Amino acid sequence: MSADYDVIVIGGGHNGLVNAAYLARAGKKVLVLERRHVLGGAAVTEEIFPGFKFSVCSYVVSLLRPEIIRELELPRHGLEILPLDGTFTPMPSGDYLWRMNDHAKSQREIRRHSRLDAEAYEEFGKSMLEMCKFVKPILAMTPPDPTTLNPKDLMKLLFIGKRFQALPYQDKYNQVQLMTMSAADFLDGWFETDVLKATMSASGIIGTFLGVRSPGTAYVLLHHYMGEIDGAFRAWGLCRGGTGALSNAIGDAAREAGVEIRKEAPVAQIKVKRGVACGVVLANGDEISASVISSSVDPNLTFLKFIERGHLDDEFIEEVKRYKFRGSSGKVNLALDALPDFKCMPGPGAHLRGAISISPSVDYMERAYDDAKYGHHSRRPYVDIVIPSLTDPSVAPPGKHVMSCFVQYAPYKLAEGTWDDQRESFGDTVIDTISEYAPNLKNIILNRQVLTPLDLEREFGLTEGNIFQGELSLEQLFFLRPVPGWARYNTPIKNLYMCGSATHPGGGIMGAPGRLAALKILEETKGGK
Amino acid sequence: MAAARDVVIVGGGHNGLVAAFYLAKAGLKPLVLERRAVAGGCAVTEEFFPGFHGSTLAHGSGPIRPEIARDLKLKKHGLIMLEPEPRLFAPAPDGRALQLYGDTATSAANILQFSKKDAAKYPHLQKTLARIVALLDRLMTMTPPDIDNPTTGELMHLLMTGRQFRRLGRDDMFRVLRWGPMAIADFAAEWFETELLRAVVAARGIFGAAMGPWSAGSTAVMLLRAPADGNPSGTGAFPRGGMGAMTQAMAAAATAAGAEIRTGADVAQILVKDGRVSGVALASGEEIPAKAVVSNADPRRTFLKLVDPVHLGPDFVVKMQNYRCAGNVAKINLALDSVPPFTALGGEKGSAAALAGRIHIGPETDYLERAFDASKYGQFSEHPVLEATIPSISDPSLAPAGKHVMSIYAQFAPYKLRDGDWNGQRAALGDAVVKTLAAYAPMLPGMILHRQVITPADLEEHYGLTGGHIFHGELALDQLFTMRPLLGWARYRTPIGGLYICGNGAHPGTGLTGQAGANAAREIAKDLKR
Repeated sequence: MSADYDVIVIGGGHNGLVNAAYLARAGKKVLVLERRHVLGGAAVTEEIFPGFKFSVCSYVVSLLRPEIIRELELPRHGLEILPLDGTFTPMPSGDYLWRMNDHAKSQREIRRHSRLDAEAYEEFGKSMLEMCKFVKPILAMTPPDPTTLNPKDLMKLLFIGKRFQALPYQDKYNQVQLMTMSAADFLDGWFETDVLKATMSASGIIGTFLGVRSPGTAYVLLHHYMGEIDGAFRAWGLCRGGTGALSNAIGDAAREAGVEIRKEAPVAQIKVKRGVACGVVLANGDEISASVISSSVDPNLTFLKFIERGHLDDEFIEEVKRYKFRGSSGKVNLALDALPDFKCMPGPGAHLRGAISISPSVDYMERAYDDAKYGHHSRRPYVDIVIPSLTDPSVAPPGKHVMSCFVQYAPYKLAEGTWDDQRESFGDTVIDTISEYAPNLKNIILNRQVLTPLDLEREFGLTEGNIFQGELSLEQLFFLRPVPGWARYNTPIKNLYMCGSATHPGGGIMGAPGRLAALKILEETKGGK
Repeated sequence: MAAARDVVIVGGGHNGLVAAFYLAKAGLKPLVLERRAVAGGCAVTEEFFPGFHGSTLAHGSGPIRPEIARDLKLKKHGLIMLEPEPRLFAPAPDGRALQLYGDTATSAANILQFSKKDAAKYPHLQKTLARIVALLDRLMTMTPPDIDNPTTGELMHLLMTGRQFRRLGRDDMFRVLRWGPMAIADFAAEWFETELLRAVVAARGIFGAAMGPWSAGSTAVMLLRAPADGNPSGTGAFPRGGMGAMTQAMAAAATAAGAEIRTGADVAQILVKDGRVSGVALASGEEIPAKAVVSNADPRRTFLKLVDPVHLGPDFVVKMQNYRCAGNVAKINLALDSVPPFTALGGEKGSAAALAGRIHIGPETDYLERAFDASKYGQFSEHPVLEATIPSISDPSLAPAGKHVMSIYAQFAPYKLRDGDWNGQRAALGDAVVKTLAAYAPMLPGMILHRQVITPADLEEHYGLTGGHIFHGELALDQLFTMRPLLGWARYRTPIGGLYICGNGAHPGTGLTGQAGANAAREIAKDLKR
């Protein structure tokens, strides 16, 4: 008896949908199963309060691989990315740092703080561009296995080695520093302005349980620099209609390619017969068979929840348990009656249209981390704010606004109490923190939604609330992600694959794991249907 | 003007002496110039209080690499190593104490009082470390490859390492790759459930570093130090007569081999003529011409102080200025009226024997991390991590009859203080250390006859350690192997012809092993023999 489907993709997040789309375009009969009533996983738009549409979790776009946008013709399916202009950092002193996409303007602004830094900034931009160019093909490659003598793998390692050799000395120097240093130390080598270093280092800690002074964060800094819009590095954007619109665009592309998508179809189990995956059982008991199962959910759910004991050896189970999630961030979504008014730059203006970063100093960032290390949410957290309704009025009623606050740190494991008791106090902390710079905030809040790591786990199936399906720490990257020896999308169970952010190259709305996994599946299922 | 010397070595630290020995063996006539009255650098024994002799700075040997000890015939030159058991004594706040021995089974038996699981896992860790360490050992003894065009010899060496790497087997291979960048706290937690044992393991990853156990990459530091001794308990070897006895033996070996050592000779400048070294100038004004100069001083001191930067070029200088070497360790030496009774050993009735090895104070990984937190903001830890020894227990010659010396490393004590300077805070640091010890040995404060507190500022001022960094620069992933001290300059050579570095600011740069000196000598001999 032949299977109902060639491939069942578990999870309708952006990676699952990308994975499905590529498989279907190659002629596979694909079914996507999404637990929730809405597609997109952590990339969704939801009308939390009547008239206010929120990019509930993931709120900025830029990492999405351009080849995916091209190949899936996402613009034709309604994807429209609106540039997010610059980053505004208010300071307690009443001053501010306002970097804009316009490089010249940014330089002029930085010169206000330090002449030297203004010059270094130019150099820095160039260098990071070179570093991104170096890393790009590695992000687009299935990680080699460094422990085999398989020529294919050796070639890949050689390829990386040769590329490195070919770099000019200065780039070699920068590259090794990026791979090994802390964001703070790395930036210390370039700049002297504290607030500049603090704001820049912020992208080094997002989604990790590390501080700006922890080695390894310089790499995450680069990871976030990979952002591309129309080929321009380091440009972030918002999705018209919220981040969910992006998922819907990928969804449409998938459907057009023939993918069948079922919402509110939570998977309860992955069926395994004699070490071979052969289908899934839904929560409602329905059984669906398929020749290949591609799971876009994290390894914890895939291997420890969906697969019956006995199908995996203990050693592998140990490795999976060892994989670190450690959610460290939360989200506060606000429905606003008016715009926040910043002391250091009163009134509305372009500074509200970009990202607003609460990251006044490197020590501030580090102290925020210290709280989390011992199991408390930061007393004064790092907050990354965007007000999408300014760029995309369609997401809020006329004159009203939505404000999205990404907050770090909020450790999944608390020293005392539970997130259910601390949710509101966490929310208050965030509001108080922002209010120190924009005092009117408290009076203009119509509604607020507070998402703790626990909520991210419950609502979005992100284990321990890690937004990247696992920490982006050096020992969990490339051929070590998610499990040493299993970084190539396949698993110890035949015909079961991983295609989520827990696989190389990791988190962010990049789509690369979904695409690379699809190519791997196609390669390995060549010939037979 | 005197005839040019073959080689002048700036600084008579252990690496300088080891380098001198091997260069002399290679048929050269090295001259070692030591600023202080006694050779030995950071490995010296001094009378810090009438009748009380202590290892002023370093109190434990790296340990010195066996083949180096053999080549230098250190035994013949009077070095006697003491290896007291237990190697490590770690009291817990609850009155229990962990004791680790050279022998795995004995250690495991002691761990049993805390956890069956950990006792079972401990031998496994020792075995695994031993396997992996064998591989790292090869890396320690090699000159880091040229990043642009590695020579066939280096490629062979790397290939051999690669072979050995593969011989480890898949699991160990991935262990190495995964452990390197990992936080030692995670490493320790993967192996053990007992907080005290975790802390003891973690302490090895942060010693001398500006890192806490939760800092990524701290596992690499532990692994780097492990080749010297794969035992998870760490090394427990002390020279009779203090660390000075070891460097004295090295000096004797170097002299016997034909090297000359001049103390009280403070090198003020390394002279350069048309991009090549021409000799050194002493503070006294005396100039000593030389064909080659080898600096045992740390890279910052060598390149930013002793050499005129114009000879190096701005790019190199800027990178050197970014070389991280802000120290974080202070050293406290105590002259004691008797052995302090530890509560965990039954107080006064208890025996002192258990205190003959290293005493670890730092009951939990979080305790270690909190101690580190303070230093990030320019304060020393109120509750520091301590490694103490009472060498006089196994070596009575160090103190008057019945009296004792206690030697304590205290972490963290940052070189840069946020407020005030170390002269103002030296006493406060000393008090914090004694207070911390008193929590485990309440009678200790009353037994102190004299207290010597050496802060990072003192390390810089009196021992020439820039930033007071005991390893001549941070042992962090970005400053190791081909990147120590700078990417492309890890081969003991420098941008200046005839100028070399042989200290811990060069690969491998870990503790008192003498390896940097031996590696450097090998390269220098190659060049000079051409």
